Amino acid sequence: MTFAEKIRSNKFVVTAEVGPPKGTNIKDVLHHIELLKGKVDALNVTDNQSAVMRICSLAGSKLIVDAGAEPILQMTCRDRNRIGLQSDLLGAAILGIKNVLCMTGDHVSAGDHKNAKPVYDVESVQLLQIVDSLNKGRDMSGNELQGATDFFQGAVVTPEANPLEPQLMKFEKKVKAGANFFQTQAIYDMAKFKEFMKFARKYPVKILAGFVVLKSAGMANFLNNFVPGIKVPQELIDELKAAPKGTALETGMNITARHIRELMDEKICDGVHIMAIGMEDKVPLILQKAGL
Amino acid sequence: MIISKKKDHEELLSLIGNYNSFFLIGCSECASLCGTGNDEAIAELTEKLKAAGKTVVSATIPKTGCQTLGTKTELKKFKEFTDKADAIIVMSCGAGTQSAVEIFPDKPVFPANNTLFLGNMTRFQVFDERCSLCGECIIGLTGGICPVTNCPKGLLNGPCGGMSDGNCEVSPDIKCAWVRIYERQKKIGNLEQMKEIIPAKNWSANQRPANLSLKEKKDKTNEVKK
Repeated sequence: MTFAEKIRSNKFVVTAEVGPPKGTNIKDVLHHIELLKGKVDALNVTDNQSAVMRICSLAGSKLIVDAGAEPILQMTCRDRNRIGLQSDLLGAAILGIKNVLCMTGDHVSAGDHKNAKPVYDVESVQLLQIVDSLNKGRDMSGNELQGATDFFQGAVVTPEANPLEPQLMKFEKKVKAGANFFQTQAIYDMAKFKEFMKFARKYPVKILAGFVVLKSAGMANFLNNFVPGIKVPQELIDELKAAPKGTALETGMNITARHIRELMDEKICDGVHIMAIGMEDKVPLILQKAGL
Repeated sequence: MIISKKKDHEELLSLIGNYNSFFLIGCSECASLCGTGNDEAIAELTEKLKAAGKTVVSATIPKTGCQTLGTKTELKKFKEFTDKADAIIVMSCGAGTQSAVEIFPDKPVFPANNTLFLGNMTRFQVFDERCSLCGECIIGLTGGICPVTNCPKGLLNGPCGGMSDGNCEVSPDIKCAWVRIYERQKKIGNLEQMKEIIPAKNWSANQRPANLSLKEKKDKTNEVKK
């Protein structure tokens, strides 16, 4: 079964992500793909994340296809105009890539080429429309394609954005533009996430809750202070602080596993997306702890 | 108005190189309000050029530097000085500078300023960019606030994931353009409009170089036949 078939059949799906390296040595990324491929339903490949130049997500996704697993191609609008995006999408389709995650992309000022010209010819909502159109056999200008794509397209949402309403309005636009599934920004407050899900359940889309494992109380404070849309509740920070020396990471993994279990048991959402950020080797253990 | 800023003096000196005598041209419009093309700016640059061993033969402040024909007429009075000068230094925006290039086809013309943006003067000598001259105005759909200009990503359909407590991720000291649009639309009872997807922009409306003529085009087909 493909990722799309699994999620449509109401299986609780699990996705994780790999970040292609800066440079041509792909030993680590191949190792991570091997490690995760049997354990998750699909693997996101980030697109020059944080605007730091790396191997493109298209090539990274092809490595996953070659390894016999299913990639979710992340595509941002920062580096390519509408011609480049559509061309890469057609290329992705012929390389066997079935899933695409449409994002606007971090601004170049966040990355390692700060003098670059940011593109943003189109943005996430319009990119979803483009994918929908390619699936129907037409390019953005309405020209007929020799062979349509068949992408399962998704988008991202930040359930803890402040203020929330403009973000929810954008979520509605993304649904209207053709998003089938959403992966959320990292969530830590289950009560707030359940509130968001009451809203999201009104729409015919699948939601995967995003998780970033807390390695320490310091990391939690960092996320709260510097990462937009992430709010780690004080009780979790206290839990990490109370962990015996050397066990904070273990505690962080237990928190993630506990949250995943809770969402699964209470059928709150349709799956989870684990963003390991350098801890790809820990993902199997987290899934095991969550009973997945 | 067009916002300009004085170039670093060392850069200007390296541009003018071995030329020795100059005629300075300011501008009484935008560059005067920006302090880059008014009497004070001319006096300051004259002093600095003298200190660098250069000569300023004369200077003037045309009414509107980018109005090429009018500026040409105004400059005729200064012919004896402009003839004497090795080169012209223009203290206005890039448009005014290029008027001078057109008026003085045989003389080197150098810009004293960098031209920054089309700006609103929000307080005395404080300028903010509100419009980026994209060629196809959409602010009728966004509560009168331009996201193409006010959002660093130019997003047309709502805030990005980087919006933090209502502020912009790229420039944390400014409010997110889409939060401003949201608040204004709510205030004026127009929130429904924010639910409509705004299509991708037609960037062909922004093609350079732009031009516009309000004159009716003469039908020259008959003239040719005659």
